[in-house]
Amino acid sequence: MQLDTVKMLAKIKNTQWALADIDWDAPGAELVTGDPELYAKLKVFMADLMWIEHVGARAFAAMAKKAPDDTLAEIYRYFHAEEQRHANVEMALMKRWGMLEGDADNPILPEPNINLRLVIDWLDTYSDEMPLEVLGSVIPSLEIALDGALCKFLLDTVQDPVCHAAFEKINEDEARHLGIGFHVLEVMGHGKLHQLLVKAAGNLLNPKLIIGIAAYLPLLNRMRDNLVKLGLKEERLYEAMNKYKRIGGRTEQGRRNPWFQIISHQSAMVVDRKSLYHVPVDALVRLTDHYPRRWLKATPTWVKGLTWKTAA
Amino acid sequence: MTQYFDKAPTAGRRSRKSADPAAVKVVEVLIVGAGFAGLGSAIQLRRAGITDIAIVERGSEVGGTWRDNQYPGAACDIPSNLYSFSFAQNPGWSRGYSGSREILEYIKGLARDHDLLPLIRFQHNVEALDFDGGEGIWTVTLSGREPIKARSVVMAQGPLSNAGFPNMRGIESFQGKKIHSARWDHSYDFAGKRVAVIGTGASAVQIIPELVKVADKVKVFQRTPGWVLPRFDFQSPDWAKTLFAKLPVSQTAVREAMYWIHESMALGMIWNTPMTRALELLGNRFREMQVKDAWLRRQLTPDFKIGCKRVLMTNDYYPALQQPNCELISWPIASISEKGIRSVEGLEHQVDCIVFATGFEVSKNGTPFPVHGLGGRDLNAEWSGGAQAYKSVQVSGYPNLYFTFGPNSGPGHNSALVYMESQIDYIVRAIGKRATGEFKYIDVRADAQKAFNTDIQKRLAKTNWNSGCKSWYLSADGFNSTMFPGFATQFARQMADFRERDYRLV
Repeated sequence: MQLDTVKMLAKIKNTQWALADIDWDAPGAELVTGDPELYAKLKVFMADLMWIEHVGARAFAAMAKKAPDDTLAEIYRYFHAEEQRHANVEMALMKRWGMLEGDADNPILPEPNINLRLVIDWLDTYSDEMPLEVLGSVIPSLEIALDGALCKFLLDTVQDPVCHAAFEKINEDEARHLGIGFHVLEVMGHGKLHQLLVKAAGNLLNPKLIIGIAAYLPLLNRMRDNLVKLGLKEERLYEAMNKYKRIGGRTEQGRRNPWFQIISHQSAMVVDRKSLYHVPVDALVRLTDHYPRRWLKATPTWVKGLTWKTAA
Repeated sequence: MTQYFDKAPTAGRRSRKSADPAAVKVVEVLIVGAGFAGLGSAIQLRRAGITDIAIVERGSEVGGTWRDNQYPGAACDIPSNLYSFSFAQNPGWSRGYSGSREILEYIKGLARDHDLLPLIRFQHNVEALDFDGGEGIWTVTLSGREPIKARSVVMAQGPLSNAGFPNMRGIESFQGKKIHSARWDHSYDFAGKRVAVIGTGASAVQIIPELVKVADKVKVFQRTPGWVLPRFDFQSPDWAKTLFAKLPVSQTAVREAMYWIHESMALGMIWNTPMTRALELLGNRFREMQVKDAWLRRQLTPDFKIGCKRVLMTNDYYPALQQPNCELISWPIASISEKGIRSVEGLEHQVDCIVFATGFEVSKNGTPFPVHGLGGRDLNAEWSGGAQAYKSVQVSGYPNLYFTFGPNSGPGHNSALVYMESQIDYIVRAIGKRATGEFKYIDVRADAQKAFNTDIQKRLAKTNWNSGCKSWYLSADGFNSTMFPGFATQFARQMADFRERDYRLV
């Protein structure tokens, strides 16, 4: 099903909102802060969620450069900013719940885990060079996991009405992101199959992409482990991945996109505990724990753009 | 072939004051606008012996664009020796690239030295032009004044003369100060203020370094980064001024050298050639040299070919952006609020003042006021799909009406005044032909105009301007009615060739 991107862009422009639209001082914070067990779990979860949104934002920035037309490029520019807004909202929620370290008026950004850092490094160095097929197929799978599993988990766990109000807005944005995501996934399945396959094989041999995959796979496994530890039901992840497979594969074009097939299979393995896939990837997770921090690049300045503030 | 009617339009339009033709003197030439083009036309017309000239000017002093654009840092991005008339060179330019005040003084000097002030009727705002084919006379309707009648009219109101606030969501709600770059409020004190600048085009890159010096905080909202190249500016040494004054041929030689340097730029700016790549390489190296942070550099990297939009010539813009009190914001703007600007990443950027460096309403699809030609035909309606003219100066069905900076006369690489001089020379020849009294009017043939435009659009399709970026050179649907697809030398040759067979002489 083809989507009218011009109408979608108009809709995106007409449905903008700001952090100032949310009453951050409204009552309800005690529903989180008054529950020490929930508080401790959420602190880790929120930081991870914020970072995932933030790296997603950077991926959209890279996609804007590769978009085949001006409308889609403009949509990706908006999505880049909207994902940043989501990360900002999540930071503001952390601020509301007293989860940020440092001075109250000048809190410190939570430290990303090593796998996030490696993905940030890779995005900063190589994402602008990646073809749209790769990022355009990965992003919907991440979005659907975020939307279908993480956010639902959060809203089931947290009763603070401000959190619900904020995520109502975030979910509306994410629905549009998914709409465009699956549209692009299908568009990239157009063309002769053998050409699509040759192109995908060529991309898979790109050393820059191989480094990206080596950074991305352990991140997924670490996140899955963290989430399950926090109480997220694994079925939720299964459901999300099945949704990706179902929606992405609903048309012939979608199914013909080799990257959709690769990611569908890879996602199925991620959520299948018994898969042999986890042997090398879990080993990579353990290995990255020993990754020398001095080998990391200096934190890119786009990371420093995150803020919990409503006004600046 | 278009059918022409030699009958004055009478009905179907709004009523306006009419004067008894017998009582109103008909001037030979009426010029709209007392900027560079208007004054240059008057000087050259007089030199050709046509002295019955009136200039109507909506402002209260001469200068046009350079009178209006007096924002801090305003300067020309073409060297002054080339951005001046060849027939009125100024040996005293203080800098390589002069500021707007000095350029305005030069224009005032033109009016003064050529005794043009008696011809100018200030605060005369043109509301409409109507041609009477029977009489061969234009009626120039003015706001609150008696109309003026003229045999020929030169439209020299300038393509960049209409500035307005852009149509942005919530703009009317902003409670702070709003300033447009082309209508600068010199009484507003920026010291200690938080300022937002919307736009990063030619005006913005000149304003921002000046604002950063005085304001408390400057937030620059960028939509599309442009190509920035270094500007080789310098203070003119006294010896050069003395030499130019004593030996004008030396200044002419410098002007010629600059002309040919700029002409060579066309190879990279107008068409996609290896020189385009060389210029882009220069732009990339310049950015790498001036911008240390990789992310900021990425934000400032254009994603279109150099020349597709106007190239920004500045050494101060990138350093200004990196000052501690300055911030580049490349998030899209969601809306303007009471207190400032809300960008899509969710923040409200609260400011005391918003500077709109958002450009001008360039007349690509219309005329600045209603123009009715033979049989009441409406130029605005005819241009609704994109402006078209014959050699940029005349439009079929609108006899004795001449445009400076008309359709497809814009340069992308050389001095606008070089193009203007060629147009003025052409206009003087055409008006001179009519002024002999042999004809009531001269009107370009529709088929000649059509053939001209078919050719020019074919040539434009191969240029960088039409290579995919959005710019003020193009209309909303991508039609290029502003630029000339060639060298200034080619434009001059086009304008030097007056083909009588392309005209109806009535």
